[in-house]
Amino acid sequence: MANQSGNVYGLTVLSPILQDPNAETSHNCAIRMNLAGLPRDESSPFARVSSTHMARLVVMDDVVYVGMPSCEEHLKSQYLVFETNFDGDLDTYLARMAGEIPTEVDGIWQHCWGYPGVQDVGAFISYMKMCQITTTFYFADVNNKTVQQTLRALQTQAAVAEFIENNQGRTPVELQKSFADFLQMLRNAPPPIPGRPGTGGPPRIETRMKWATKN
Amino acid sequence: MANINYKTYAMNAITPMKWWKTWIVRVFLFILGAIKPLQKDLVQLSFIHFARWVIITRSKFPHAAQQQPKEELKYDYLLFFSNFNGTWNQYIDAFSAVLSRGLNSIWRWSEKFPGSVPVTPFKQYIARCQFDTDYYYTAYPYAATNDVKAAHRVQSALEAFEKESAGKSPEEFARSYLTFLVAVQRDLGETGKAPIGT
Amino acid sequence: MSKLDATDIQGFVLRGYGLPFARYMFLEIADAHSGQVFIGRLLDQVTTGEHWDAGKPEWTLNIAFTHKGLVNLKLPDASLLSFPVEFLQGMKARGEILSDAGENGSEKWDAVWRDGRVDIWLAVNSKTKETLDVVCADLQRLMGETGGAKVVDSQDAGAFFIDGHWSAKEHFGYTDGFGNPDFLGVERDTQPGQGKLIADGTWAPLATGELLLGYADEAGELPVAPIPHLLASNGTFMVYRKLHQNVATFRRYLEENGKLYSGGKEKLASKFIGRWRDGTPVELSPDAPNQEIVKDKQRNVNFTFGNDLEGWCCPIGAHVRRMNPRDAFGFNGRLINRRRITRRGLPYGPYVPEDQPVRDDGEHGIIFMALNASLFRQFEFVQQQWLEYGNDARLGNEKDMLMGDHEGRDRYTIQGTEDPKNPPFVCGGLPNFVELRGGDYFFLPSMTALRMIAAGTVDPR
Repeated sequence: MANQSGNVYGLTVLSPILQDPNAETSHNCAIRMNLAGLPRDESSPFARVSSTHMARLVVMDDVVYVGMPSCEEHLKSQYLVFETNFDGDLDTYLARMAGEIPTEVDGIWQHCWGYPGVQDVGAFISYMKMCQITTTFYFADVNNKTVQQTLRALQTQAAVAEFIENNQGRTPVELQKSFADFLQMLRNAPPPIPGRPGTGGPPRIETRMKWATKN
Repeated sequence: MANINYKTYAMNAITPMKWWKTWIVRVFLFILGAIKPLQKDLVQLSFIHFARWVIITRSKFPHAAQQQPKEELKYDYLLFFSNFNGTWNQYIDAFSAVLSRGLNSIWRWSEKFPGSVPVTPFKQYIARCQFDTDYYYTAYPYAATNDVKAAHRVQSALEAFEKESAGKSPEEFARSYLTFLVAVQRDLGETGKAPIGT
Repeated sequence: MSKLDATDIQGFVLRGYGLPFARYMFLEIADAHSGQVFIGRLLDQVTTGEHWDAGKPEWTLNIAFTHKGLVNLKLPDASLLSFPVEFLQGMKARGEILSDAGENGSEKWDAVWRDGRVDIWLAVNSKTKETLDVVCADLQRLMGETGGAKVVDSQDAGAFFIDGHWSAKEHFGYTDGFGNPDFLGVERDTQPGQGKLIADGTWAPLATGELLLGYADEAGELPVAPIPHLLASNGTFMVYRKLHQNVATFRRYLEENGKLYSGGKEKLASKFIGRWRDGTPVELSPDAPNQEIVKDKQRNVNFTFGNDLEGWCCPIGAHVRRMNPRDAFGFNGRLINRRRITRRGLPYGPYVPEDQPVRDDGEHGIIFMALNASLFRQFEFVQQQWLEYGNDARLGNEKDMLMGDHEGRDRYTIQGTEDPKNPPFVCGGLPNFVELRGGDYFFLPSMTALRMIAAGTVDPR
């Protein structure tokens, strides 16, 4: 199924953007302004739709003219491209968008032809599916781990590296005890937050003072 | 720069195709999808999280409302979306150096594609056909795809070690720990910000 | 391809002179006309790439220009603007790209570099200190006579004289000077391992255009070069970096970690770089140094990493592996061939034997110079992606252990095995062993181009 690779779904949606010659700000500009103000880190709406690995929104103004002898042609509307890579099935994801980030979805898609709003989840899903383009070929480097699994693994990786550095040269008894404590710490670690720059691992110990004193 | 979110770059490109060439691209992309060994170079390069090609034939641009004017186009369009690590130049240099045949088989059907070798006209073509991302989100901004894969290997190794070393004497534990170290020692690179894009 | 005209190329580009003394003088041009006269008077003395039939000369002279220098010589605007962007900007402005920040930031540089005063690099290498002083005094006299330029700073550098002979060691005790690439058409004592890997596992010289402007490079293109052709052809770009070495910190770090590492201190040192301190490549001899390999030209750079992808012999982040990954990234080394640089340079400051006290704030360091046809694609790429970063080597954000900007918090992982003499080992809390004290990008013109610059006859089209 071309839209899917393993457990990851690659959704491509092209929503035609309204054109209103009487509007003070054209709709595509309004979308751009809205997007410029959206946070991209853990406060991102897509962090809340937490099954999202990566997502982008792009205002596609026109097709490209590559030069003679190609013909020059133009689109009659601009299109909002929504490219997202997420865990699970399409309907669940779209329902999550409608349910968990309705304000942001409205803010963006209200500028598009035929957008029904998010109150009627079924209508929203139908609208998005109508604008969906089937992905012809989808490549996912890691396609069998969810966002949470990946974030946890990154947290573990940072913690393990820290543990190895701090426990170098310990006796077997000390090592075993230290490791037991470590596992406990890892188990109790809060779930890592999607979209946050950082590893979610323990803070690095500042060991600068040890070596950098110049003499 | 909205194309980049820490370690990952969101590239978008659109190229026109004469309608009677579109099916050739579909066949190549189908073969690429179906025959996994063909993807091995892509996997070895290991700098793409997710990538996709999307063909939009000229009549299939979404028409969402009666009053929306219908598109009247001569060309079909090939859209390309990539989520990759590294700089723009590095990415294209690498593709041109090692994947030129594969790239050519997909893009030569697009109008005025100059070939992926030599690299400079190829970069000029991409610059022409690329359009910028307005908003880009990634759930793990500090991690390149190499980091993600390394992290999963460490996670598996840790789980296996935890099971295997449970209830062992300290000496046996220390021996197992050494085995564990050797298993994860290549995958401990810290994650963080990427060098500045060039 | 046709044979290179070595007499048109400055000797410094084609060979490391191997002369023990050097002085790099940095000049400011007084005005375009007298600057041209000065350069014209120098022309006969500039050392070219011609073959030395009678053995090494007593001294050599070479010259290079910053973009500002070329501006001050009033080259035509069209030529000036046609230089590659990174050369136009100069190394200081490229600081973010090179990760020259913090301890390596330009605020900490020597004044002459911080204030961007350098127009010309004039380099004299010589057999003796006396000759060096005499030649440099003559050059200063010439500057005075022509009124063309004045020295705003000068940097002495030189090999160490240890145990009665000239040594190739640098301040951390490593034997330096291996691994410069081979190029098509450049006459040189070729050693297997210097060039690029080809499909049958042997080595071939790199395309000439990786070193010299005006020739095809490894991608089959001509590197970006200024106009006209004659200005660019047979020239190259050079990056000059003064790298201060914190010798006391390094020795303490090695001593303390050497006690914790069961392979011992010398082996630990070998794992930092990928060569034992005597020069033995770790990939060929991971357990002990071996002078036989060092002296054998057929072997001392002839190795690959394909059988050591785990890093058990040579750690994945070791310096030589970062600077030239050879076949470590797969694809038969094709991702590497456009990222090679040619190194020149000498240590500066007095040699302090291992058993003598030394200070970090002493004058100890290395003058690092790299020659390449494209600063952006070669030096800048290696510095940014392979030295101050580790993603291509699958090491995340890990940096080169000796050269990286660690800010006291990074770690370096040495991969090992279950053999107690070759254990996995993590070097933590890395300080900055090396600090950048300044430098810039230079253009080293051919003799033809130099004559044109001296005569003021550079004509863009």
